[in-house]
Amino acid sequence: MTVALHPSTFAQTAEMSKRSILALWRQPALVVPSLIFPLFFAALGTSSFSRATSLPGFPAVDSYLDFALAGAVVQGVLFGSTVGATALATDIENGFFDRLLSSPTTRSGIIIGRMAGGMVYGGLQTLFFILILLPFGLSIEGGVGGMLAMAVGGTILALAIGALMCAMAIKTGSSEAVQGAFPLVFIALFFSSAFFPRETMSGIYARLADINPISHLVEGFRDLTIEGLSMSAVLRTILIPLALAAITVTLSLRTLERRLGAR
Amino acid sequence: MTALDESTTGAARARRDVADTKLLPASVGLMTRSLVNITRLPSAFVPSIMMPIFQAIAFSGTFFAIIQIPGFPTDRSINWFLPLGVVMGAGFAGIGIGFATIRDLEGGFYDRLRLTPAPRMSLITGPLFAALARAAIVTAVVFVVGSLFGARLTHGPLGLLPLFAAGLGVAAIGTGWGLGLAYRFKDMRAAAIMQLTFFLMIFLTEAQTPLFIMEGWLEGVTRVNPFNNVIRLSRLGFLDPPMTWNDTWGGLAALVGFIALTLLFARRGLSRLSDV
Repeated sequence: MTVALHPSTFAQTAEMSKRSILALWRQPALVVPSLIFPLFFAALGTSSFSRATSLPGFPAVDSYLDFALAGAVVQGVLFGSTVGATALATDIENGFFDRLLSSPTTRSGIIIGRMAGGMVYGGLQTLFFILILLPFGLSIEGGVGGMLAMAVGGTILALAIGALMCAMAIKTGSSEAVQGAFPLVFIALFFSSAFFPRETMSGIYARLADINPISHLVEGFRDLTIEGLSMSAVLRTILIPLALAAITVTLSLRTLERRLGAR
Repeated sequence: MTALDESTTGAARARRDVADTKLLPASVGLMTRSLVNITRLPSAFVPSIMMPIFQAIAFSGTFFAIIQIPGFPTDRSINWFLPLGVVMGAGFAGIGIGFATIRDLEGGFYDRLRLTPAPRMSLITGPLFAALARAAIVTAVVFVVGSLFGARLTHGPLGLLPLFAAGLGVAAIGTGWGLGLAYRFKDMRAAAIMQLTFFLMIFLTEAQTPLFIMEGWLEGVTRVNPFNNVIRLSRLGFLDPPMTWNDTWGGLAALVGFIALTLLFARRGLSRLSDV
């Protein structure tokens, strides 16, 4: 029997990716909250704020549900993205990470493989929300192309947030610290236009929402839902998470280098 | 009397004192232990203050425009969302006691507590007192910070009474519910159930908008959810309509009912725990 001791970087990363995807599949309890809570909030908002859609500054929508989809998708992806990072921190806590490092595995493959599970989940999550809400009156003006753009945007956003949380996991080596950092992401979500349009806000909230990249990302998703497929909406849906991912993946790889250098 | 006699008498007195431990001192002792943990483990308490403050401010900023809907009972969005933050924070102060009890159960400390001659009931009343003290702190801090962000009592300081009544009452409900679940599950599975059920109970009400603005399924659920009366009670002092007894008694009755049921749930759970 021949044992390939030095498979390619791609093959190693693929194996690590497979492991992280299987981990999500085998532990559904970890991911169910990130599916249920955004749907619950979307349902709650649709019933609570249906009359608010006639307020000045609110975009023309058939129902609040059309408006709420973008917020639900981004909220769900943000929730779900911490799962992979928490698992990475657990690997560090229980020593499995050290065993990986002592094997001839590429360093970047360990991190990127871990994020891959979150990316696959982010894309599927986006499609899941759309498909679940369609029978409840959701209409996607962007059609199938819009849905695919949203799925791609959800996948890249999962990478961006997952990488940020992985950096936290590598830096602290504590799953508790990763969970503790999550409220910061949640705060960023609330001070954005995820749940109400920026045009209806005033004062400091409006200014915070204006400079918050999540607002512009959410509005890309929202335009695909309520206005239709346009280059501007597709670019915002994909390029903003891509820019965020470029920063956070670099950050997580540098954090890994620093951790290894400190040994 | 010899030194040995004196020592024996002292030991006997000490034994008798311990055996005569009354409910109140034992409860106060357990409450003190819980409150001391605020300074020793601030990371466990600070979020329960920060979360309602953040919620009140974020909701009032995000959903600022809803006050423009004709008939909305206040012209300040923070007046609408501050009491919700208080109810949420006070509830989680109560549920936090449930989390601490799970830790004690898992770590074996609870078995040692049950071996002491302290009255069984103090294992419920002690944490209850602690939750009330924590909820009072949360309510006061959220009110002060909310006031800095523009919240106003529309009917004078009297409006604080229903706010504190709701806050303390919800903390008692959270304690009963948290302890009852902790005694039954004895592990962290109970924590998820505590949070989820409490969350649902709070949000299936007029938490976000008044009943007349709602449409669809939530309106029907809110009409039959008795907890909605508690949310209404908490807001009495912050809304434009005058505070009347008609608007007050429903909330008080709902609080009494929920507190009685959840504390009974906790008492039965404790009895079952003692039988094992």
